[in-house]
Amino acid sequence: MSLELTNLSKSFKHDTVLDGVSLQVPEGKTLVLFGPSGAGKTVLLRLIAGVIEPDNGQIKISGIDVDGAEPEDRNIGMAFQNFALFPHMDAHANIAAPLTAQRKDQSAIQSGVQALAKLLKIDHVLGHKPKELSNGQKQRTALARALAGKPKILLLDDPLRNVDAKLRFEMRLELPRLLSDQNATVIYVTQDYKEAMAFGDEIAVINDGIVQQIGTPEDIYLTPANVEIARLFGDPVINFLDVTLQKDATGVFVLISDKRIDLDANYSHAIGNECTLGIRPESVLFVNQDHENAVPVTVEAETPLNEKTVNLCLTARGREIMASRPAGTDGPENGPAFVNIEAANAVIFDKQTGVRIESEQSTGEGNVT
Amino acid sequence: MSDVMMDLDAVDKFYGSIDKGVHAVRNVSMQVMRGEIIALLGSSGCGKTSTLRMVAGFEAVSRGKISIGGREIHMLPPVQRNVAMAFEGYSLYPTVTVRDNISFALKRKNISATDVANKVEEIAAMLEITNMLDKYPSSISGGQQQRASLARALIRDADLYLLDEPMGQLEPQLRTLLRGRIKSYIKERGLTAILVTHDQTEANALADRIAVMEDGELQQFASPDEIKKSPANLFTGTFVGEPPMNVFPAAASISETTVSLQLAGDVALTYPSDAFSPQLRARLTEMRDVILGVRPYAVQRRDTGSPATVVANQWLGDQSHIAANFAGGSLVLVEHDRTQLTEDQQITVHLEPSDIHIFNPQTGMAISHGARLVG
Repeated sequence: MSLELTNLSKSFKHDTVLDGVSLQVPEGKTLVLFGPSGAGKTVLLRLIAGVIEPDNGQIKISGIDVDGAEPEDRNIGMAFQNFALFPHMDAHANIAAPLTAQRKDQSAIQSGVQALAKLLKIDHVLGHKPKELSNGQKQRTALARALAGKPKILLLDDPLRNVDAKLRFEMRLELPRLLSDQNATVIYVTQDYKEAMAFGDEIAVINDGIVQQIGTPEDIYLTPANVEIARLFGDPVINFLDVTLQKDATGVFVLISDKRIDLDANYSHAIGNECTLGIRPESVLFVNQDHENAVPVTVEAETPLNEKTVNLCLTARGREIMASRPAGTDGPENGPAFVNIEAANAVIFDKQTGVRIESEQSTGEGNVT
Repeated sequence: MSDVMMDLDAVDKFYGSIDKGVHAVRNVSMQVMRGEIIALLGSSGCGKTSTLRMVAGFEAVSRGKISIGGREIHMLPPVQRNVAMAFEGYSLYPTVTVRDNISFALKRKNISATDVANKVEEIAAMLEITNMLDKYPSSISGGQQQRASLARALIRDADLYLLDEPMGQLEPQLRTLLRGRIKSYIKERGLTAILVTHDQTEANALADRIAVMEDGELQQFASPDEIKKSPANLFTGTFVGEPPMNVFPAAASISETTVSLQLAGDVALTYPSDAFSPQLRARLTEMRDVILGVRPYAVQRRDTGSPATVVANQWLGDQSHIAANFAGGSLVLVEHDRTQLTEDQQITVHLEPSDIHIFNPQTGMAISHGARLVG
């Protein structure tokens, strides 16, 4: 079943929570809703579930408008943050509930519950009542219950939020496959960018009730629509440098600490503009002084970050810039050093609006001279 | 003056009566050197916070001694210990501004008003709270309060700085930036600091040495690099490192010319015997059954090696995480570029002897790292 939202709006009193949200999720695909708390993600899920009504707009499931349809008639599975487990039933009975309702036979119920419990690492607490479960276990029980009935549409509201780091990592690897095996159409809410990139066929970045960007993980990471989105994806956070786009006979360039950095993309429509250059720490590489793009910096600190090592550097103008490299590779001592800012991976934003400036090459093909 | 700034000598903490109550900290001994940054790392309930609170004087020491700067302090009230603290719940004074909260400790010390003002501005800029200096604590967010509390601790002149989850409430983007700044602030001034955290990224980033705790016991106390390369036991090996270390039960068989590690699912890792030290070969001949560990970023994909089947391939922007079925279990690989593997694709993986950790399955203690016997 596909899901299509058109121009959804919702206000509570005078507070506009969603303002004209349109999204489409093809059958069997996962759309991640990503954004800070208060962005309107949970309200959007509640509208789809039919728990609350939109002020405006349309929700279609498999092409059919569900306006007025009761939540239970929408064939939607949900796992929300407040768990909402049946308090008088143990974890097993909670997970089995959708199967029992579908009148599955006992052996099918048993094997279905066991398989999910094992995957979600709660098979040892199936006999426990909700009040005897930790928050992380409650959350996984709710997730197992949502998955058990194999609903065609699944709404998952940050289901791994309270789960500890190690298990969260395992779930990040295993859950997407389970979802695609079930051929479920999924809306998955998270504030963890790694989870968003791992789960999403597409990611919708939502803020202040507005969808700011929809795209594949690749689109969002490599060509974020604005500085805020660029900041939210990536660890360590992307570096920003104030630059002015300049052009001469050889092409478009910027100056960083008086060092010329040539941009291979063509931004000639924005020459002279004050811009923000975004460069991810993994695209800032330490090089020798004689490298053609060597920008002088001072290395202030080195911080190992598991499988990466991060250096905090200062440019000649005192701007902070972070460089990261695979752990175990050679790096600089604290003190003077040189970095190559890999221009091919730079993203240019308008300094005032924070909106990404597209290069002219990306707007058309075959007209590059 | 001795170079040891803090000495924990066989410290125990019982909640309830000694030997009968909950044994939260078990016979912990460690020395922190002047100018060092130490992280107490562990999951909730491991004893790290109890340890820090005993150093601060918020909890009584049940048994053992604590010295700071050569002075036994565990019987002294907190104010006489000359430690600066940024604790969760060790709150700001609500009736004065953030600026006055931060400068309070300096005003009693005969420092000129201009110097105080400059120091406050400097530390506020470092922690990105300049705009909040004239606000009252109740009108700023939890993350801002946390930074104000951190500023108040770091601006003081103390023997020891105790920081309990100092960045727990900050958004991830700010946290990565402040880590580097706080580290250089502490290092430039030669301060000695103890940080409590459950976040290994934070511990790795800030600390010279990490004290890994579990079940009230000190599991290992070493540099981040040493913990990564030479985890003392299976707990430390699988707790520190993200993604976690891959572990597989293995049976060792040693011949004249080869060392072979037989895993489940008919996977045998066979190496020329000279890749392993003679002492380790002797030990493996004795033990036979072991646990083999290898870190995700040390697993190499090669043209020849042991077969594995891709289960998932996730790209996270700056690295790829690959999960594969291997030797009857699950193997995770990390690669630093963008891999394009599909589900069910067959790959062959190679584990270098220098990347292999071997543990005793009974005790969990490390036997070897990189094909060399421990110790």
